[in-house]
Amino acid sequence: MADLTTTPATLPRRAFSGRLVPAGSIAGLCIVAVVAGPYFLDSYTVNILVRSFLYAATALTVDILWGYAGILTFGQAAFFGIGAYAAGITFTYMDFSPQTAVLALLAGLAVSAVVACITGWISFFHGASPLYVAIVTLALPIILVQVLYSGGTFTGSSSGLVGYNTFDLSVEAWFTICGIGLVVLTTAAWFFVNSDFGRLLIAIRENEQRCTYLGINAPRVKILLMVVMAMIASVAGYAYAGYTVVVAPEIGSFVFGTELVMWVALGGRGTLIGPVLGTIAIDVISAYLSGNLPYVWKLIIGSIFVLVIVALPQGIVPVLKTGLRRLWSAATRRDAAPCVAVPALIEAPEGRRAGTGSDAPALNVADLACSYGSLKVLEGVAFKALGSELLGIIGPNGAGKTTLMRCLSDGYERTGGTVAVFGHAIARTPPQGVVGLGIGRSFQTTSLFETLTVAESLRLARYRLDGTRMLSHAPTLALPDSARRVITATGLDRQLAIECRHLSHGMKRALELAMVLALEPSVLLLDEPTAGLTKPERTLIGSILVDLVQREGLCTLIIEHDLDFVREISTRIIVLHQGKVLLDGSVAEVVGSELVRTIYAGGAHQELAP
Amino acid sequence: MTALVLDIVTTAAILFAVASGLLIILGVLKIVNFAHGGFLTIGGYSGLVVTQLGLNAWLAYPAAVVAGIVMGAVVERFVIRPLYDRPLDAILATWGLGIIIGQLITIVFGREIQFVQTPITGATSVFGETYSLYRLFLILAAAAVAGGIAALLNATRLGLEARAVIMNEPLARGLGINSGHVRFVTFCIGAGLASLAGALITPLSSVDPNMGVPWLVNAFMLVLVSSVSLASLATAALTLGGAQVLVSTFISPVIGGLTIVVLAALLLRIRPAGFSRG
Repeated sequence: MADLTTTPATLPRRAFSGRLVPAGSIAGLCIVAVVAGPYFLDSYTVNILVRSFLYAATALTVDILWGYAGILTFGQAAFFGIGAYAAGITFTYMDFSPQTAVLALLAGLAVSAVVACITGWISFFHGASPLYVAIVTLALPIILVQVLYSGGTFTGSSSGLVGYNTFDLSVEAWFTICGIGLVVLTTAAWFFVNSDFGRLLIAIRENEQRCTYLGINAPRVKILLMVVMAMIASVAGYAYAGYTVVVAPEIGSFVFGTELVMWVALGGRGTLIGPVLGTIAIDVISAYLSGNLPYVWKLIIGSIFVLVIVALPQGIVPVLKTGLRRLWSAATRRDAAPCVAVPALIEAPEGRRAGTGSDAPALNVADLACSYGSLKVLEGVAFKALGSELLGIIGPNGAGKTTLMRCLSDGYERTGGTVAVFGHAIARTPPQGVVGLGIGRSFQTTSLFETLTVAESLRLARYRLDGTRMLSHAPTLALPDSARRVITATGLDRQLAIECRHLSHGMKRALELAMVLALEPSVLLLDEPTAGLTKPERTLIGSILVDLVQREGLCTLIIEHDLDFVREISTRIIVLHQGKVLLDGSVAEVVGSELVRTIYAGGAHQELAP
Repeated sequence: MTALVLDIVTTAAILFAVASGLLIILGVLKIVNFAHGGFLTIGGYSGLVVTQLGLNAWLAYPAAVVAGIVMGAVVERFVIRPLYDRPLDAILATWGLGIIIGQLITIVFGREIQFVQTPITGATSVFGETYSLYRLFLILAAAAVAGGIAALLNATRLGLEARAVIMNEPLARGLGINSGHVRFVTFCIGAGLASLAGALITPLSSVDPNMGVPWLVNAFMLVLVSSVSLASLATAALTLGGAQVLVSTFISPVIGGLTIVVLAALLLRIRPAGFSRG
C-alpha cells in the first residue's frame, strides 16, 4: 500500500506558496495605500473613510457568516453596538486611561461573546431552519436598542453618550490604524476561508445534514464562528466609539444590521473583497449625497439592492471580476486556471475504532418503533448484531428498511424502543453524536457536496478524528486502509482534485462509501451501496466489504434489493415486511424460505413463474 | 380585571390581524415576506388619504385592501417570482422593497407623524368597565379576517388548491394545479390583508413612514410559532400577546415590547413545532 503515497508532496506546498505571494503583495499595496492616503485625500474624505473602514470590517464578518457559512445574520450591528457602548460607558464613567481603554475593550469582547453564544444556542440546533437564524438575529439588535432606551441616563437613552475623553489621536493616525487593521483582517479572513476549515464551512452551508452524519457538530461550529465574528464586530464598534466620541442607539440598531447585509449583497457575498469595497464605496457616496438628497439616495440604494438580489445575486464585484478576467485571458490568450492543491494520501493510525474490546454486542436493537402520526413504519423490531457479521437487510419497497437505518443513526428519529452500540444506548443523540459511538451511515440517494473536491470531501470525513487547519491546507490526508482501498480500486485516487458534481454515478457511490469508511466506524450502515452500479463494480465493492468484515471485525448492515448479491456477501439475513422482522436467520434459511419468495412475488397464488 | 382581560383579547386580535397576511404568504409561497411592514404602512397611508380627501372613514378599509392587492400584484410579478427558488434572497429583496415603499411614502407624504380619523369613537361600558369602542371593534375585525380566510381556504376552488400547495407542492403541480397562479393570488391576498391590518391599527396610534417596522418582528415570531395554521396563530396571538400585556402592565412597557420576541424564540428552541400539534 506504500505506493499510494506517491502523489508528489511538493505539489501542495507549491500551491500554498503560490497563494501566499499574490495575497501578500496585494495586502502590501493596500497598506502602502492606507499609509499614503491622508497625504492625497482631502480631510473630509479621510474623516469619512475611517468610519467606512470600520463598517467594512463589520461587513466582512457578515460576509464570512452569510457568504461562506450560509448564516444570514442581521445581528452583527448589535455586536458593533455592544463594543461601542462598552467604550462609551467606560470612558464616560471611569474616564479615559490606558487601563480603562483595555478594560472597555475586554468588556466589549466578553459581552459580545456571551450574547453571541446565547444567540447561537437559540438559533442552531438539530433540525433548525436557516430562516430561523435570520429572524433571531433580527430580533437581537431590537432587543439591544430597547435595553439601551431603558438604561435611562446611564446609557444616555435615545440620544446616547457624547463628549467623553478618548484616544488622543489625529484623524490621519486613525485612518492609518483602521486602514491597516482592515487590510490585516481581510488578509487573515482570506486565508481563513480558503483553508480546510473554510471548506468545512462551505460543506455545512451546502449540506448540513450530511455533515452531521460525518460526525461534524455543525451547530457547535456555527456557534463558534458566530462568537468569533461577534468579537471582531465588537472591536470595530470599540474603535468607532473611540474615533467619533459619540455612541447612539442607531449604531446597534437593526437598520444598521440590515444595511450591513445590503452592502455585502451589493459588493458580492462570499468574496470578502466585494463586501469591503462595496461598503467603503456606498458609505463614502452616501456621505456626499445624503446631505443633498437624503430620501432619494436611500430610494436609489434600495432599488439597486432589489435589482441586484433579483438579477445579479452574486453581487457587483464578481461580475466586474469575470469581465476583467475575460479581458485578461483575451489579451494574454491564457486561462487563469486556479491551482488546486492535492494532499498526499497517507495511512491513518489504527486502533481508534469505538467499542474495541467491548463484550457487548456491536448493535442491540430492542422493541424499536417508528411512526408518523397513525402510520406505523416500524414496530417491535428487535435484533442483535455482532462484530464480524455482515447482516443483509431485505424486504419489499416500503418495508421500512431505510427508516430502520435512520432510527439507528439519529437518536431523534425513533418513537419507541432502544438502540445500543457496544452497550451504549443512543438515547436522543443527534447524528454527530451517534457517529461518535461508532456508527457510520451511507445514504441511499447519493448525498455529497457539489462544489467540494474528492479530497476535500474525504478530509471532511476525517474532521472528527483529525481536526482541521484554520488558516491553511494540510499537505497530507490520512485515511484508513479500507477507505484507501475503495478509492484506489475505483480510480478515485487519480481524481482527488475533481469537484464532486463532475463525478460519474459510480464514482459518487464509491466516494460515498469511502467517506463512511474514513470515519473508522465500528458499525457500518449501508443503504443500497451498489444501486446503479455495473456488475464488475458491485463485485469489487462486495469483495472489499467481505474482506473488511473478516479482517477488521466490522459489524455491517447492508440494505440491498439484489438477492444474489446479498446471498454472496452476507453472513446472516433479516427480512423486513410491513415494518416488522419477518425472518432472521442464516443465508440458507432465508433464501430457502417459502415465505420470502411469497412476499417478493407478491402473494402465493400469483406464483406462476417457473 | 375586566380591563386587563379586554386588553389581552384586543391585543391578540390586533396581532392576529397583523400576522395573518404574513402567515398565508409563508404557507403557500414558503417565503418570509419582509415587505410586510411596508404593506402595513401602505394601509395606514390609505387611511390618511381617505382622511385628507374628507371621505367617510369606513372607506379607509376597502381603500387599503385595494392598494395592498395592487401593490402585491406588482411585487409578486417582478420581485417574488424570480426568487422562488431562493428563499433567503427573497427575505432580502422584500426587505429592500420595504425600504423603497418607506422612502416613496416619505417623499410623497413627508416624514412627520400624522393622524387619521377613526370610524368609531367613544367608549362603552363592559361589565362596569369603560372601554374604547374602537378596540372592541378590532375583535370583530380580526374575527372577520379569520372567518374570511377560513372561508376562502375551505369553500373555494382557490382555497382547495392553496391547501394542496401548502401540503405538497410538487404533487399539487402534478395534479394539474397551476401553482404559479395560486402563488400570485395568495401573495396579492396576503398583501391586501397586511394593508387592511395597517388601516386597522392606525386609529390607535398615528402614521409615519416607518410605522410598519415595529410590527414586523412580532408578526414573524407569531407566524413562526404557529407553523402555518390559523388556529395556532390565534392561540399564539392570545398566549404571547397576553404575556405581552401582562408584562407591560405589571413590570415595564419596554420589557413588554420584547416579550413576544423572547418567548417565541425560546419556545421554538425548546419545541420547534411551536403551537401546532404536529
